[in-house]
Amino acid sequence: MLIAIDTHDPRPIYVQIMDEIRRAIVLGTLARDEPLPSVRQLAVELRVNPNTVSQAYRELERQGIVRVRRGQGTFVLDPRLDGAERAAMARDVARRALRDAHRHGLGADELIDAIGAAAADHHPTEGTS
Amino acid sequence: MTGPIPIRLPDGDRAIATRGIAKRFGRQVALRDLTLDVPLGAVYLLVGPNGAGKSTSLKVLLDLVRADDGTAEVFGLDVRTDAPAVRANIGYVPERHDWGYGWMRVGRLLEYHAAYYPTWDRAYAARLTELFELSLDRRLRKLSKGQARRVHLVMALAHRPALLLLDEPTDGLDPVMRDEVLGVLAQHLTESPTTVLLSTHHPTEVETIADHIGVLRDGELRAQVPLATLGRHLRRYRTEVPEGWSSPATLDGAVLRRVVTQREIQWTVWGEEPEIMRQLTSSGVVVRESAPLSLHEATLALLDPRG
Repeated sequence: MLIAIDTHDPRPIYVQIMDEIRRAIVLGTLARDEPLPSVRQLAVELRVNPNTVSQAYRELERQGIVRVRRGQGTFVLDPRLDGAERAAMARDVARRALRDAHRHGLGADELIDAIGAAAADHHPTEGTS
Repeated sequence: MTGPIPIRLPDGDRAIATRGIAKRFGRQVALRDLTLDVPLGAVYLLVGPNGAGKSTSLKVLLDLVRADDGTAEVFGLDVRTDAPAVRANIGYVPERHDWGYGWMRVGRLLEYHAAYYPTWDRAYAARLTELFELSLDRRLRKLSKGQARRVHLVMALAHRPALLLLDEPTDGLDPVMRDEVLGVLAQHLTESPTTVLLSTHHPTEVETIADHIGVLRDGELRAQVPLATLGRHLRRYRTEVPEGWSSPATLDGAVLRRVVTQREIQWTVWGEEPEIMRQLTSSGVVVRESAPLSLHEATLALLDPRG
């Protein structure tokens, strides 16, 4: 599983880790009952404070996305994520796009129209993976 | 500045607590009324320009420098009256490396150093020496600045002390070695419960492993907060201003900066975001963006002499 964090991103690091894990679950790179990397492994890999990784895992557990099994690790709980989680991810992306639009003095309606137009121009190849 | 920027942390278990530390060197004031709160288990960045008093602060904790005034405690022990016990619990990487025995070889130095620490972890020291690409038969005087820094890191880490005092630990390291050191520190924190006080004038190099920050200028703390709080409360608001608009009498926060361009004002403000937003909006401006500052920008804003 590939997790990338960016210190220029306004999201706190633990939120970035949570978002990356959600993304991995939605994309299927992390399946049900699969273990997440250990706190140590991920902290060393990302060069972050282990407490930050623990915080991300705790928060994911609170949201019912993973479960910590004592002494065994942290596991993906439920692929029910699919529907709800895809929607949540889309909302996050939308919020970021909206913030960016506001910065440029654009309103939500203008942004929605522009996304519609851009999507119509965009011809994805058949059967995208 | 109408200052709600915190310079004290909420009560809790402390690894380090100093109260009103003052230090002069001749006429030069190095520290004035320094009150450091380093929570147990924190990775605390002490940032500030050269000459702000960062190194002196660390030396006071080791009793290498005696304060003129104030008290300093490490794990509840007074650093002056209990200096040996305090030092036994500390791993220190100094800013400067004056070996004084340049003929000595690295391996010999490490053995000599190990003898002082009953908790010295031989296997760990060997692993670090290898990771840091240090050769044991090299003489100390032949070490580059970066190599000397790594030797000190091995000496500081391998006895797994409860407190690490790291003075500019990434100074003189190339990007690859800097990254290696961060990885080592991250791993060290998962293996041994450690509090870290790390001084740096390049906070962005080490921000991912940190959770607290103290901003020091002219021997005084300008801010002392958890990094998460900094991200939430120190923000830039880009606002669009209607013609003939006059500034609100007060903003219920600390305005650190206000940059005015033609129809836009950028405010750098410390405060609760919803409240600042409300006040800006009710003053008649349109808030286009509210975003946290990067650590680099935040440090600059907090160090701004106009503040």
